[in-house]
Amino acid sequence: MAQIELRHICKTFTVSLRPEGRMSMLRGAFVRRKKVIKALDDISFTIDTGELVGYIGPNGAGKSTTVKIMSGILTPDSGYCRIMNRIPWQERVAHVARIGVVFGQRTQLWWDLPVQDSFDLLKDIYSIPFTSYKHRLHELATALDISALLTTPVRQLSLGQRMRCELAAALLHSPRILFLDEPTIGIDAVSKLALREILKRENRENGVTMILTTHDMDDVETLCSRVMVIGHGRLLYDGKLHRLKADYAPWRSIRAILTEPVTPFHIEGAERIKAEGNVWTVLFNPDIIPAHIMVERLARALPLRDLVIGEQNIDEIIAKMYQEMCL
Amino acid sequence: MRLTRRANMTKVRAYFSLFRIKTAEGIQYRLAGLASASVGVFWALIEIVVFTVFYNYAANKDAGTLAGLTLKQVISYVWLSQAIWTMQPMSIDAEILKKINSGDVGLELCRPMDLYAHWFAGTAASRLIPVFWRGTVTLLCAILMPVPYRLGLPASAIGFCWSLLSFFCAFLLCTAFGTFVATVRLNVNWGDGPMYMMMLIGGVLSGGYLPLQLWPAALQTILLLQPFAGYLDIPIRLYLGTMQPNDAGSLILLQLIWIALFVAAGKALMAKRLKTIIVQGG
Repeated sequence: MAQIELRHICKTFTVSLRPEGRMSMLRGAFVRRKKVIKALDDISFTIDTGELVGYIGPNGAGKSTTVKIMSGILTPDSGYCRIMNRIPWQERVAHVARIGVVFGQRTQLWWDLPVQDSFDLLKDIYSIPFTSYKHRLHELATALDISALLTTPVRQLSLGQRMRCELAAALLHSPRILFLDEPTIGIDAVSKLALREILKRENRENGVTMILTTHDMDDVETLCSRVMVIGHGRLLYDGKLHRLKADYAPWRSIRAILTEPVTPFHIEGAERIKAEGNVWTVLFNPDIIPAHIMVERLARALPLRDLVIGEQNIDEIIAKMYQEMCL
Repeated sequence: MRLTRRANMTKVRAYFSLFRIKTAEGIQYRLAGLASASVGVFWALIEIVVFTVFYNYAANKDAGTLAGLTLKQVISYVWLSQAIWTMQPMSIDAEILKKINSGDVGLELCRPMDLYAHWFAGTAASRLIPVFWRGTVTLLCAILMPVPYRLGLPASAIGFCWSLLSFFCAFLLCTAFGTFVATVRLNVNWGDGPMYMMMLIGGVLSGGYLPLQLWPAALQTILLLQPFAGYLDIPIRLYLGTMQPNDAGSLILLQLIWIALFVAAGKALMAKRLKTIIVQGG
């Protein structure tokens, strides 16, 4: 049976609008028009134990709303949701004891106190037995390289250090499901890599299910085998990442660095050519023309110095996808 | 049975830890505490001077004594009320207010805790922190003052014990009301204005500006029964002996009743809100 199951979840919000025209500010103080926004419109999916799912979509698409419903903070207007055999918002306390949440833009540590104090408090909140707490803390502190930070007040940590501590805080009670809302937002490459590494490890060794909402496509690419794309409150795509790529980005790209600038001309098999100074970016479809032949043709036609073959940038894919779906 | 009791014990420990961590966080700010204490001492001295003038030179200078409060007792009243003045909730706990406004209430709900108890623990800490510095320094000054300005001794040992218990209830009452106001704020998007008014009324009716016994005689019964008498007037009366130890039981019961009512109201409001909660942002 699926660990997480959502069926036909809907959620609307009302926002009040200020009337238009003259004196609108004054009139707005007395009369307001209400507008109903569909944050989630008939969302259904299931996730099995140990899956690592990337949940992506533009701002305001409904990602956070879904996460909030799954973590029991928000009650949907209609629909059915069952997570580990519980309805999150009905048995909130029992439910949240077994999940962990990381919100990248919000802190769950006590700002003015040493990190260790926050951890000790979490130990009491989640009723973690002393010995397993010590063991777990040691394990996480080593993996995330935060042992030296434990006595530092949170306010003095850099963002990257703080995020590593946040993640440790979310994992202390060994949750079965982890919701990550933009965990890598604004942090440096080293911290990002450490974060991804521990997420992968938790998933592999303890079978923790993870749902990751992010705008960082590198996160998705390194961590998630399955992606769900949401836009305007609807689920637009749910499946393997490589299939998403195959559907929306069938092309490969070659970055050719030339010894001198050459004005673009057509090369047989190239779908699109873009030239910037002495760098050409050539897109081609590997199903029609194999890569080595494309390279050979380029080498024959151009004064090549260097050459890089890659997939289309996933950011571009998502952007294109949003565009096609009129988001 | 034993299992549930143990589960409850660990829960209580979590809330106590929360209270402890917040208190530890708050009392780091010594300078703010000392600033508040100097305001307390200064304010008390002004009040004492004003009361002395009234008791000695006013047209009906015996009115105070007739109302059952001698000048010496008023001076003690002023010191004690200044010492615990900041225990009264004059604002919603800054951390809770920030969380209401920013939508981080959601994060709070991600904890396996009862949100009301969570807030209660937090509010309790924020009620205790200002008293920690201001209270000790003000009392120290009150004891070291020259005789006419000095804090008097309690009327009786037994009265003193009752007043200590009553002070503790006052702390719970302040916390219960503070949490109640926070739950109102959670429910209603009125902004902060009405909340400050609610809390200001509490401040006036507590006797902190003018001891309740010096208010008009016709109002005395109502003044004693209203919730805010429990903030400082009741414990101070027990200290001064203007209320006898015989009455202490019923007075403390009165405080407890108001605590229970505010807790119940706060819990009900919070439950109502949590059913339909909309977490702002994100």
